[in-house]
Amino acid sequence: MKVAMFLAAAALSMSALADDMPTYKLEMKDGVVNPARLQVPVNTKFRLEVRNSGKTPAEFESTQLRKEKVLAPGVTSSVVILPLAAGEYKFFDDFHMATGQGVIVAK
Amino acid sequence: MGQVLFIVWRESVEALLVVGILNAWMNQNPQGRAGKPYLWGGVALGIALAILLAVTLFSASTLMAGSQDVFQTVMEFMASGLIVQMVLWMREHGRTLKKELESGLAENASSANWWGVTTLVAIAVAREGSETVVFLYGMLGSADGQTLLHMSGAALLGLGLAFLTFYLLQLGGKILSWRLFFRVTEIMLLLLGASLFLAAVEKLISMELLPALIDPLWDSSALLDDMTPAGGVVASLTGYRAHPALMSLLAYLSFWAGVAGLFFWRKRRPAA
Repeated sequence: MKVAMFLAAAALSMSALADDMPTYKLEMKDGVVNPARLQVPVNTKFRLEVRNSGKTPAEFESTQLRKEKVLAPGVTSSVVILPLAAGEYKFFDDFHMATGQGVIVAK
Repeated sequence: MGQVLFIVWRESVEALLVVGILNAWMNQNPQGRAGKPYLWGGVALGIALAILLAVTLFSASTLMAGSQDVFQTVMEFMASGLIVQMVLWMREHGRTLKKELESGLAENASSANWWGVTTLVAIAVAREGSETVVFLYGMLGSADGQTLLHMSGAALLGLGLAFLTFYLLQLGGKILSWRLFFRVTEIMLLLLGASLFLAAVEKLISMELLPALIDPLWDSSALLDDMTPAGGVVASLTGYRAHPALMSLLAYLSFWAGVAGLFFWRKRRPAA
């Protein structure tokens, strides 16, 4: 119980802190991710605003970035990505794996 | 179509792995049958929870944005702990359960444990089930009559394949020796527990409650990429990572050290 409350408080303080960081937009539409190649600054914490503009649900997932987020159709949600070392980080739409592939490039 | 089949199969297998092993174990032990209502009660509870979770995800996904992660983290830690407790309990009571039940002494202890079975199964089913429900609901809801028919077919096929896996497990209990079956499933369950523990720790890292330390420690994606469908299954069943952070590796190792420590400690203690 205490742990849950601590986690909830941490999540709240996190969303409060999240306001002063660069935001990048990503659109997921029935298996198409746009942009499929997203360039971000290296070693910078940033927010990724993911919008599901398709008619089917999407799941933004990346084992590499340790993120997974289920998005119902029409929903916009953000994930905070911690500072990345230079390199390429793959992500995909777990519900449309055949076509929904993308990569985040930290430069 | 293929993705409907694959997702339903993949999500179901992880949940059925737990259910299948417990069910096979109960079949092996005549006295284990007493636990079956608790097992299937857990499945029913899990499905109900999955639907509830999916509805919540849909209706309040912006509201839940922050707490979704917290909730999942807590669930994953709980499921992982329950799996370890279950394996330990089976090791200690598996062979003597019949005798103990006959003498009536262990009745309270084991009936208390059956509720643990219910909780574990409910969590396992709810965790995978809620994603399946969200996925199917949206996919099926947006499709027209013809596609709907195809997709439902694929979903049923995926579920059918998952049950085939479940059946093979049951068969395994009959073909393999009790001892070997026990060993194999024990390892599979512990791997799943390790994978859940790691997933929970990684959520803590990404919520910045734990430092990643060195990230990534290595890149083995050329060997086995966890971002491919096959690699993803391996990742969710064993906790494999192609780009692990040092903290993830430490968490994974401490899980196994903790399990080894518990086994050693329980072995030295006279059977309680």
